[in-house]
Amino acid sequence: MAPVSLQAVRKVYGDIKVLHGIDVDIADGEFIVLVGPSGCGKSTLLRMIAGLETISAGDIRIGGRVVNELEPKDRDIAMVFQNYALYPHMTVATNMGFSLEHRGASKAEIAERVKWAADILDLSHLLERYPRQLSGGQRQRVAMGRAIVRNPQVFLFDEPLSNLDAKLRVVMRGEIKGLHQRLGVTTVYVTHDQIEAMTMADRIVVMNAGRVEQIGAPLELYDRPANLFVAGFIGSPAMNVLGGTIADSRFNAAGVSLPLPTGIGITGAARYGFRPEHLLLTPDGLPAVVSLVEPMGSETQVTMRLGEHAVVGVFRERVAARPGETIHILPDLNAVHLFDTKSGARIN
Amino acid sequence: MKTDLSPRLRVALYGLMCVLLIPFVFPTWWMVTSSVKPISDIFAFPPDLWPRRFDFSTYSRVFELQPFARQYWNSAYIAALVTAGTMVVSSMAGYAFARIRFPFSNTIFMVVLLGLLIPSEVTIVPLFQMFLRWGMINTHWPLILVPIFGAPSVFATFVMRQFFIALPGELEEAARVDGLGRFKIFWIIALPLAKPALGAVAIFTFLHSWNLYLEPIVFLSSTQMFTLPQALTQFTDAYGGAMWNVQLAAATMTAVPVLIVFIVAQKQFVEGLAHTGLKG
Amino acid sequence: MSDISQQKRPFWTIARKDAAAGYLFIAPQLIGIITFVLIPLGLVFYYSLHEWNVLANTFTFVGDANYQMLLRDPNLPPVLLASAIFSAGLVVVNMSLALLLAVLLDQKLKGIVVFRTLFFSPVVVSLVAWTIVWSFLLQANGGINGILQVFGIEGPNWLRTPTTAMISVVVVQVFKNVGLNMILFLAALQGVPKELYEAARVDGASRFKQFRRITLPMISPTILLTSIITIVGSLQVFAQIAILTKGGPGVSTTVLVYYLYQQAFQFNFFGYGSTLSILLFVIVAVLTFIQWQMRKRIVFYEN
Ligand SMILES: Nc1ncnc2c1ncn2[C@@H]1O[C@H](COP(=O)(O)OP(=O)(O)OP(=O)(O)O)[C@@H](O)[C@H]1O
Ligand SMILES: [Mg+2]
Repeated sequence: MAPVSLQAVRKVYGDIKVLHGIDVDIADGEFIVLVGPSGCGKSTLLRMIAGLETISAGDIRIGGRVVNELEPKDRDIAMVFQNYALYPHMTVATNMGFSLEHRGASKAEIAERVKWAADILDLSHLLERYPRQLSGGQRQRVAMGRAIVRNPQVFLFDEPLSNLDAKLRVVMRGEIKGLHQRLGVTTVYVTHDQIEAMTMADRIVVMNAGRVEQIGAPLELYDRPANLFVAGFIGSPAMNVLGGTIADSRFNAAGVSLPLPTGIGITGAARYGFRPEHLLLTPDGLPAVVSLVEPMGSETQVTMRLGEHAVVGVFRERVAARPGETIHILPDLNAVHLFDTKSGARIN
Repeated sequence: MKTDLSPRLRVALYGLMCVLLIPFVFPTWWMVTSSVKPISDIFAFPPDLWPRRFDFSTYSRVFELQPFARQYWNSAYIAALVTAGTMVVSSMAGYAFARIRFPFSNTIFMVVLLGLLIPSEVTIVPLFQMFLRWGMINTHWPLILVPIFGAPSVFATFVMRQFFIALPGELEEAARVDGLGRFKIFWIIALPLAKPALGAVAIFTFLHSWNLYLEPIVFLSSTQMFTLPQALTQFTDAYGGAMWNVQLAAATMTAVPVLIVFIVAQKQFVEGLAHTGLKG
Repeated sequence: MSDISQQKRPFWTIARKDAAAGYLFIAPQLIGIITFVLIPLGLVFYYSLHEWNVLANTFTFVGDANYQMLLRDPNLPPVLLASAIFSAGLVVVNMSLALLLAVLLDQKLKGIVVFRTLFFSPVVVSLVAWTIVWSFLLQANGGINGILQVFGIEGPNWLRTPTTAMISVVVVQVFKNVGLNMILFLAALQGVPKELYEAARVDGASRFKQFRRITLPMISPTILLTSIITIVGSLQVFAQIAILTKGGPGVSTTVLVYYLYQQAFQFNFFGYGSTLSILLFVIVAVLTFIQWQMRKRIVFYEN
């Protein structure tokens, strides 16, 4: 177990700049999730921590030691790959013991560690099988077994669940989280699924186009997104964002005027954001014309027109309105987010 | 095209294939049967599909007329060495071209591919001069060195490269994390997974070496050193006429063992070739 | 601290070590290609500018004299013609037979593997052995004429008549190697997605139309690849000619490689032999280039 620290880490492929200076400090034993849209550089960053990609500039430290020029094997990390990367020509047991074998562990020691890992992951009955004889979930567990066998300082996961079906994904999510709680090993986990990020992370690093947009605990990102990008990326369905101007303690957007939270000292152009679940149905609210109603059982998702803007609301109560009808809504003023129009940065 | 066929069409197809088979199968049959006919029966009319008299002395004559056992050994050990050597050289080169990033790798690969374009006949004259200078004429070195390192191994390198390109990169990365260096990744991970491609390469290379004809007759001059293809053409009587039955006995001994190996292992043989040759 | 580590970057970075491994891995092949292909290729050109008398052991620069000789060599036009006829005949017969056999083997029939094995078997029969049997079969009093005579047909002396000699060498070569192309075609046919045929059947296309409109385009990359291999291979045919006809009768089956061999190693004209090698190289290069260009036009589909 060890802290991991990234300082001004950059990556270029020839002329293509992929990472523009990443600073992240990961505490000992922390579960960090990197999220961001496809192509933003999450895998690249993870692979740089692993030593599978060279570091163009900056420093990566594991346990206080600069590892920039260390081979992956000397960094004391273990990685779980998206497609599991199990060696097809070796049995599950050999796969799991492989790294120990190549670090000169004795046969007895290997057998003991493999048994320990297999017990934890419920793989004991599969040890003599070959990867092709396993189901997707079992392969996933073998890949994790291979990682934990060695008791490394850091676990690295690159979208390990993306090849599983939805149900299994939820199960494995729990297993990975449980494993982390049990072993307490520093973990860096890459995903583009924000639900995975929210449910698993101690802290989330939101990345976009090779930059870190925000680092924080899941609820922190949800409650106080630092900028428009994080606001739009975290939360589903996405936050409603309206462009307009602040004047006379109101926010004026096309065709609608919204109330502001108290204590907003600024005026001029801004963006006004509220999450669908923070819309309230109230008779003295603003009129909105319903265009689509999607009952989910526990809640109801309604798409409607507010002034000239399409907004989405999620309501705990069952909404009986039909398309074309008008309902009255109001954003919860404690959960309204204001952003700068140009920089996208949060201003309230 | 794989629809179920009507019984009548089925019979027609079997018939067609049987007729087409004749020129593929009959020569081998004729070779084996004629090799045990006495010389007087060899041009008998009408032709005997089954020998009317057997004369197995042709087989001992083969060994009396030439150091045939020695020549057999020459061909066998050369082919074995060339096959093993080519597998090493081309799997290493194919692996590096497919998976290792190093400056100029593409340019170098293009240069190596030139070997595919240049028939070995083009370079036979200077090769002869080079081996003459090195004192290697009438030795087996040219037949071993050139195929392993020169143009003939380029095809093998190409096949291996195509195979390794398709290997998932994650496997190698997992191996690196597990503590293997380049050489061990190649040896423990990549190569064992490349068995089908290696098999195809081995087959191609062995057959190529086993069949080599121009090179032996250019480089070798004493019967002790001859390889089988060269030896096969040397069975003539005092007047230069072909001793057909003896020659066919030698040909049978050359061809049949390989044929038997092929029939036993035909599945791996054919499918190995199909799957590596195709994805070019 | 960060700056210190930046300065202390070792020379042998991970990337450099790996690149060094790469060079190490390709070294045997690269050195081999330089020694046994590139240097000889340079030497061939160098020799072709010289007159080389082996007996007198003289080696004199003659400029383009050998190339002049090439242009005036009365044997060259018939040799090139023979090469062209041989290659064209071989490619056409080989490719069409290979395709026919592949289509037959692609049918759902019991025991098809036995047929596949037998059609392929000549590929693994020693080339010289195969040629010797055919030579034996094609003798004036050999097996083929024997069989023809049973049906009352007087066969020609196959290997001693110009036309039949050429046909014979082509046929012997085709049956020897057609199995290779057959297997490649078969694999390509089996790689055509079944849905395409199903869609065509729904559209009411006949079998023949399916073949022309779906099968051929889909396997055209394989056709191109095999045609390149077959043509380049056809220019290298040597053992068959040496054993069956020795280039005769006359020069009717003297293909370029055989002529080259005669000039260089039978008559010891190394200089002129080298000039012929250059010619062979140019022909192969041009043909390959043309076929590569044709890829754009002929190949409808590429993955
Ligand atoms: N070898 C390379 N050469 C050039 N560009 C590359 C290379 N590898 C990756 N990139 C680029 O780097 C960027 C980041 O890639 P990366 O794989 O890290 O994305 P990601 O965030 O993991 O995306 P995904 O969610 O799709 O996996 C991409 O724009 C990609 O095109
Ligand atoms: Mg990724």
